[in-house]
Amino acid sequence: MVNGNKKKLRLGFFKYSCCAGCEFQVIYFQEHVIEVLENFDILYCRMVTSGGTPEGPFDISLVEGTITESWQVDELKKIRERSKYLFAIGSCAINGGIPAIKSTLPELEIEKRVYTDLSTIHSIRPNAISAYVRVDGDIKGCPPGDRDLYEALTSVLSGKKPYFLEYSVCVECKLKGNICVLVAYKMPCMGPVTNAGCGALCPSNNRACYACWGPMKQPNASALARQFEFMGISPEDIFRKFTLFGSVTTEFRKASELYED
Amino acid sequence: MKINVNYIARVEGEGSVNLDIKDGILKDLKLNIWEPPRFFEGFLFKRRFDEVPDIVARICGICPVSHMTTAIRALEKALGFSPSPEIIKIRKIMTLSQIIASNLIHIYMLAFPDYKGLESISDMLPKFKSEIKRLIRLKEVVNNLTALFGGRPLHPVVMVVGGFTKLPSRDMIGKMIKGLESIKTDAVETLKMVSELPFPKFKNKSEYVAVHSSSGYAINEGLLVSTNGIKVKEDEYYSVFKENEVSYSHAKMTSIKGRGSFMVGALARLNLKFDKLNGNTKRAAKDAGFSVPDFNPFHNNIAQAIEVVHGINECIELLDSLTLKDHEIKVNMKEGEGIAVTEAPRGLLCHHYVLNKRGMVEKANIITPTSHNFMNLEESLKKLVKKYIHENKKEIVLKCEMLVRAYDPCFSCSVH
Repeated sequence: MVNGNKKKLRLGFFKYSCCAGCEFQVIYFQEHVIEVLENFDILYCRMVTSGGTPEGPFDISLVEGTITESWQVDELKKIRERSKYLFAIGSCAINGGIPAIKSTLPELEIEKRVYTDLSTIHSIRPNAISAYVRVDGDIKGCPPGDRDLYEALTSVLSGKKPYFLEYSVCVECKLKGNICVLVAYKMPCMGPVTNAGCGALCPSNNRACYACWGPMKQPNASALARQFEFMGISPEDIFRKFTLFGSVTTEFRKASELYED
Repeated sequence: MKINVNYIARVEGEGSVNLDIKDGILKDLKLNIWEPPRFFEGFLFKRRFDEVPDIVARICGICPVSHMTTAIRALEKALGFSPSPEIIKIRKIMTLSQIIASNLIHIYMLAFPDYKGLESISDMLPKFKSEIKRLIRLKEVVNNLTALFGGRPLHPVVMVVGGFTKLPSRDMIGKMIKGLESIKTDAVETLKMVSELPFPKFKNKSEYVAVHSSSGYAINEGLLVSTNGIKVKEDEYYSVFKENEVSYSHAKMTSIKGRGSFMVGALARLNLKFDKLNGNTKRAAKDAGFSVPDFNPFHNNIAQAIEVVHGINECIELLDSLTLKDHEIKVNMKEGEGIAVTEAPRGLLCHHYVLNKRGMVEKANIITPTSHNFMNLEESLKKLVKKYIHENKKEIVLKCEMLVRAYDPCFSCSVH
């Protein structure tokens, strides 16, 4: 990682509703930990430092987590205004991730199963951050992949546009020479509609992809859903496949709405 | 004087400590865990049993393996499935690797800066570069161990209800054992480093609770025991513990019925089963000056370092004993109910599921270590503030933050 101008870039890391796994992935960035610490001034990241300020300005902001409360929207808009580059990191921020499963049922039904007293609960419908602010790129994955994280950080350091993969997990299976688990073993694999980046991890380990990287660009989700139906998978199981990750995305909604109860 | 430590740094998730001191007397103290709820127990309703482990992994970015293992065990009990001894061993390797990794992060990145007057790990450079390098060496091997059986270190994909979808080769196991051997010295050095930190002299005589077994250092399965005489099966969890909603916090607070607070985690485990550690670890702990009973919650960091040494040794033994025979993942669907209680890095973790005859979740309940520690941490904080009440505001704030961090809470887990 080379920083041409030698001046440390100001980095902000913001967490909304999520497992904080993305933050961990950045803190513990394999062999790049020391490089990151030497090139970036971590101006704000609550899990890393008790100092710092959320006021910015930031050269680069990374935002993880699903938006589930209204104060997060207000803060997010401010962060956008104070950041030169803002990247969404991880499935929660990019496509709603696991917390967005909540959007598949009426909110009150779900909330009542967890709390008897809802007077202090102020949740809104879960959504991706791009529903509220413009983002300069998505560091995809759950957890996010090292390749995309490295690409985002080095691009900001060198002032170039980052390149993120825009094809499906199927391409990675072909590159690895995997036997197709969908065609050969009739597993309901989400690989054809899921963005690449994991290295076809699940199919390489004898299981169907479950779309943790979220939808690829312009997938034909309804065609895959119909293929699942043809394979004898029940409508409710098909609905669950397209609402595990990315339930709030227009890409996966095209399939899930066909099988909604 | 009102003191609000809003958004405590270097812990996982979002929480604050609010206290009110009047005329040198502590009037009120509350730990407000304001992490936004994600409602896992709510949206797990009508999801199928086989997707539950992948969903609950996302409760926590530090201990996904613990949530997965606990959920898998509870679901297998509901479905009437008994895993083979080999699967049980691999699951123990997985959860031990998680405990080692989590303890390391907590020791080096979250707690250590407190004792050197630093704000973050970034400030540790350049003075503590060799410590950071040691952390990287340790973490690299341990992450590779989780990935060896899980496919990746964070949110693994290979562990499912019924077993593991793929097993590594004998050759890969051999390489992993060598890797673990190579970090044994680093683990002992970590323990030495932690034991030399200037911990505040402080005592809170807690009731410690842990999973216990007569054979070995129990992690995934055993009786629930305490220093004050609890000894029950995991299925009887609700007969001893009660989870309550708290008006000022999104996390629920769990107490022992008829008694109150208790402490779980590394220090609780060592207080209850120090004798089950392997010989090397016992010696290293003794050299570091640690002995039980120990009622200083700040020493939780020492306990974590001792577990790093133990975990590496036990993983080597377990790896050595594997047969690596492939198994078919075959679980029959049926109606049922299951409770599992395990040791996550931060202590007792309970998952409880009710499944209908199509394998769909009818009811889910998840009670995390930080919910178990919540009441005890508040009591501990009150005691600590009383001790330092005549110090200036900055000092009181720092001491409170340090104590919260010593418990290593996970607010994301606790609210979920």
